[in-house]
Amino acid sequence: MSNNYFNTLPLREQLEQLAKCRFMDISEFPDGVEALKGKKIVVIGCGAQGLAQGMNLRDSGCDVSYTLRQTAIDEKRQSWKSATENGFVVGTYEELIPTADVVLNLTPDKQHTPVVNAVMPLMKEGACLSYSHGFNIVEEGMQIRDDLTVIMVAPKCPGSEVRNEYVRGFGVPTLIAVHEDNDPKGEGLALAKAYAVGTGGHKAGVLMSSFIAEVKSDLMGEQTILCGMLQTGSLLCFDKMVEEGIEPGYASKLIQFGWETVTEALKYGGVTNMLDRLSNPAKIKAYDLSEELKVIMRPLYNKHQDDIIDGTFSRTMMEDWANDDVNLLGWRAETAETAFEKTPAGDVEISEQEYFDNGILMVAMVKAGVELAFETMTAAGIIADSAYYESLHETPLIANTIARKKLYEMNATISDTAEYGCYLYNHACLPLLADFMKDIKTDVIGKGLDLEDTGVDNARLIEVNAALRAHPVEAIGTTLRGHMADMKKIV
Amino acid sequence: MNIHLDNLTVNFDDRFQLDEINWQLNSSQHWVVTGANGSGKSALAAILAGAGENLSGSIEGLPAKVGLVSFEAQAELIEAELKKDDADIMDVIAEGTPVHEILNPGDSNQQLIDELVEKFQLQSLVDRAFRKLSTGESRKVMLIRALASEPDLLVLDEPFDGLDAHTLEMLQQYLATLIETVPMVMVLNRFDEFPDFITHIAYVDNGRLQHRIDRSDTKAYNELYQLLHLKTTDLAVPTTDPETAIPTLDPTQPLVRLSSLNITYDGHKIIDSLDWTIERNQHWQLSGPNGSGKTGLLSIITGDHPQCYVNDIFVFGFKRGSGESIWQIKQFIGYVSTALQWEYKVGTGLRNVIISGFYDSIGLYTKATDRQKQIADEWLALLGMSDRADTPFNKLSYGDQRLLLIARAMVKHPPLLILDEPCLGLDDMNRQLVLALIEKICAGSETSVLYVNHHPEDKIKGIENYLALEKREPDNS
Ligand SMILES: NC(=O)c1ccc[n+]([C@@H]2O[C@H](COP(=O)([O-])OP(=O)(O)OC[C@H]3O[C@@H](n4cnc5c(N)ncnc54)[C@H](OP(=O)(O)O)[C@@H]3O)[C@@H](O)[C@H]2O)c1
Repeated sequence: MSNNYFNTLPLREQLEQLAKCRFMDISEFPDGVEALKGKKIVVIGCGAQGLAQGMNLRDSGCDVSYTLRQTAIDEKRQSWKSATENGFVVGTYEELIPTADVVLNLTPDKQHTPVVNAVMPLMKEGACLSYSHGFNIVEEGMQIRDDLTVIMVAPKCPGSEVRNEYVRGFGVPTLIAVHEDNDPKGEGLALAKAYAVGTGGHKAGVLMSSFIAEVKSDLMGEQTILCGMLQTGSLLCFDKMVEEGIEPGYASKLIQFGWETVTEALKYGGVTNMLDRLSNPAKIKAYDLSEELKVIMRPLYNKHQDDIIDGTFSRTMMEDWANDDVNLLGWRAETAETAFEKTPAGDVEISEQEYFDNGILMVAMVKAGVELAFETMTAAGIIADSAYYESLHETPLIANTIARKKLYEMNATISDTAEYGCYLYNHACLPLLADFMKDIKTDVIGKGLDLEDTGVDNARLIEVNAALRAHPVEAIGTTLRGHMADMKKIV
Repeated sequence: MNIHLDNLTVNFDDRFQLDEINWQLNSSQHWVVTGANGSGKSALAAILAGAGENLSGSIEGLPAKVGLVSFEAQAELIEAELKKDDADIMDVIAEGTPVHEILNPGDSNQQLIDELVEKFQLQSLVDRAFRKLSTGESRKVMLIRALASEPDLLVLDEPFDGLDAHTLEMLQQYLATLIETVPMVMVLNRFDEFPDFITHIAYVDNGRLQHRIDRSDTKAYNELYQLLHLKTTDLAVPTTDPETAIPTLDPTQPLVRLSSLNITYDGHKIIDSLDWTIERNQHWQLSGPNGSGKTGLLSIITGDHPQCYVNDIFVFGFKRGSGESIWQIKQFIGYVSTALQWEYKVGTGLRNVIISGFYDSIGLYTKATDRQKQIADEWLALLGMSDRADTPFNKLSYGDQRLLLIARAMVKHPPLLILDEPCLGLDDMNRQLVLALIEKICAGSETSVLYVNHHPEDKIKGIENYLALEKREPDNS
């Protein structure tokens, strides 16, 4: 029976763990991958993260092989193909785990308990077990053998980016942590640092954090702004446009590619830059809409954060796991049937600027979601750096998946946990915004403002500009993007 | 005047040949003929004055009176004068022909001659023997003679060479007054000397007339400028940065040794048991049709191909899969390919693109040192792009991007430079630009070049080893 680890800690410790997050300087990695040299790394699972991380580690000079569950090997599944075609040794748990000095658990979070239970007895005395997400430890309270070191190295990007950025000679921002209850030899940090170097993460920025801060902020970000808000926004905006007589093909395209386009501006210059892409009257409009949205949605963000912190969220989700994923699968099917999902993007030309001009409401939703998620996380004791990465930083990455193949692609790319949380959010948010949407017309979604006079009141504009720039997500964003830009000239 | 050269091949005393020249000139045009030393540009101009022996093709419409000024013509005249000397009876002191007789062989406009003598400030020399003049003085005499002959066409081969600034300016101004009356063909080597009235440029390389350009075609004009710049400047390949220097390799070891290499895609072998060794200072050309595995083979060497870990590969002192990182391998390699150019879709400025070659990265993620910046600037000067150091890479023309990526690959003086179809997708002019740069590199550094191409005409001077891959049929696997 799982036992929420976080809830076993005294409040003082909970707060301390939540507040753990420090941006590490590249000069803190002088030893490179040395701590992993001569060690045998065995990766469990060869999916998105497994393949990308394994290839990077091997290219950094590490000894990497893969262990897959027996059925994957027998059926020569995609995971088996990916590993063998890329020239890796593949073997069963029994063959490889006993030889491993470091085991990277890169299976889906949902499978962690059975997987870890299966491999733990096979692991060498004093070996290291690593995760890329702390759910199993924090939410399920997985108990790891005392002699084993437990660390986390979590790239803050999808697997494809993890590999592509490495090949360019760069990396992706990465969070590392040591599970203090399992650091018998005190080598956890050295291993995690070497691992982050091996995947290229140290070049893009490493956050030293805790299992708890990672899990609680990651869950919050993914289910609210990152996936939930984009899903709810997509459905509401599409239905509204069609209802108002906009050609469905156009509406579908405006949304599918609109998120990507407007959040590209977010990536470069934060919420401020995203709104600066609008005309002055449109900016004021977007600002007002987002203020309204924030008031309506704040209780929902608070509820998500509260449920995540006290474990309600993971408990209900695990109940669904135990119930053969009835809810998850039902919601997935339901999403596939929505009008937005079923209407292909029309063959119409939409210029980059038009996505902003005709998508004022989408801009307002992104702003409201980013700010609310950030505010809620920091209020819960999560450090601003961490809250930034889990909200604003990742939004464009998720938006890219929608541009590829709509909500289907988004939900297929993210983890089951994120997907579950996304549907949860969506179901609560749709009714919550019903009244708000009644007053929405095509001027803010679909057609753009129709103004003879584009003048605005100076005082009001100054007020809005000042408010945008004064939000705390902008301050930390400027600093962190500055770090990134110093290292990475091309963002 | 309407001159037609049709497929003309001309021999010059078996010393030199111009091949298959096609060229048309008319009286409203003023041409510059340019090219590197020894390219044949002077020979081409001399044809217009009747020089050379036509082997094939035709030349039509040559005017009767051509005024020619060239070092060759000058030398011939002087030689003739000296011969007269020899022919003289021993005890008579020969004076040689006086300048005024050379200036006016008979029917020239004497008034014009006098005017020009004054302009060139030769008054004190008119009675002197021609063969007693200095080179500069005799050149002025040649110029006056040609100008005063009232020719139908003026052919001036490097007319500005060796003139003092004052005379040069005077001559340029004077020529400008003739443009309505006399068409001109000038052989010039430096773009900054091209007079404003020039309407067309002919570019000669290796005995062939490679390009005929209308000066108003700015793009072509700029590219020609760059090409000529690369061909004619003596700028050497810039030195590299001692601080980011590549570790020294064991000189007795080959750069690359592949033993029984196999590359497989979907169970189908595209490379089967290949043995290949690249020794130090060997240049190689690798060829083969599409699908023969050229790019796969290269990526095995660069470490980008995952199957490098399941083969017996020795590169730059490392046995692959023995704990080395790909960055340790890549530091020894400079790499250019179309794929790299596509991937290099960044707004990084040109200087930083070159500097990124020190780090083998796409984009620059490290603060560059002053020394690195200086080296990058030297490369930009070599490429004739000094004025564009901060231009974003993606704003460059396709051909210029390629040149820049070659500089990026060479900036660290890698022991091995891999050029994967470096001319792919380039027009003729840019192809020649790229080849000119590669030749410069082959000649001027310790780098081994591995050149991949299936166009036999893109041969590079200095490559002496060839590896040809064949496409394998699926059933061979
Ligand atoms: N995706 C991201 O953006 C991202 C980012 C940061 C961290 N992470 C974390 O990285 C970890 C892996 O995520 P992922 O997205 O890479 O997962 P994924 O793409 O779904 O891959 C999971 C792999 O595990 C194997 N697998 C599935 N069930 C298994 C079981 N019961 N026993 C053994 N192997 C099993 C699968 O292969 P077979 O089904 O063929 O056996 C597959 O190769 C998770 O902890 C996740 O939270 C993900």
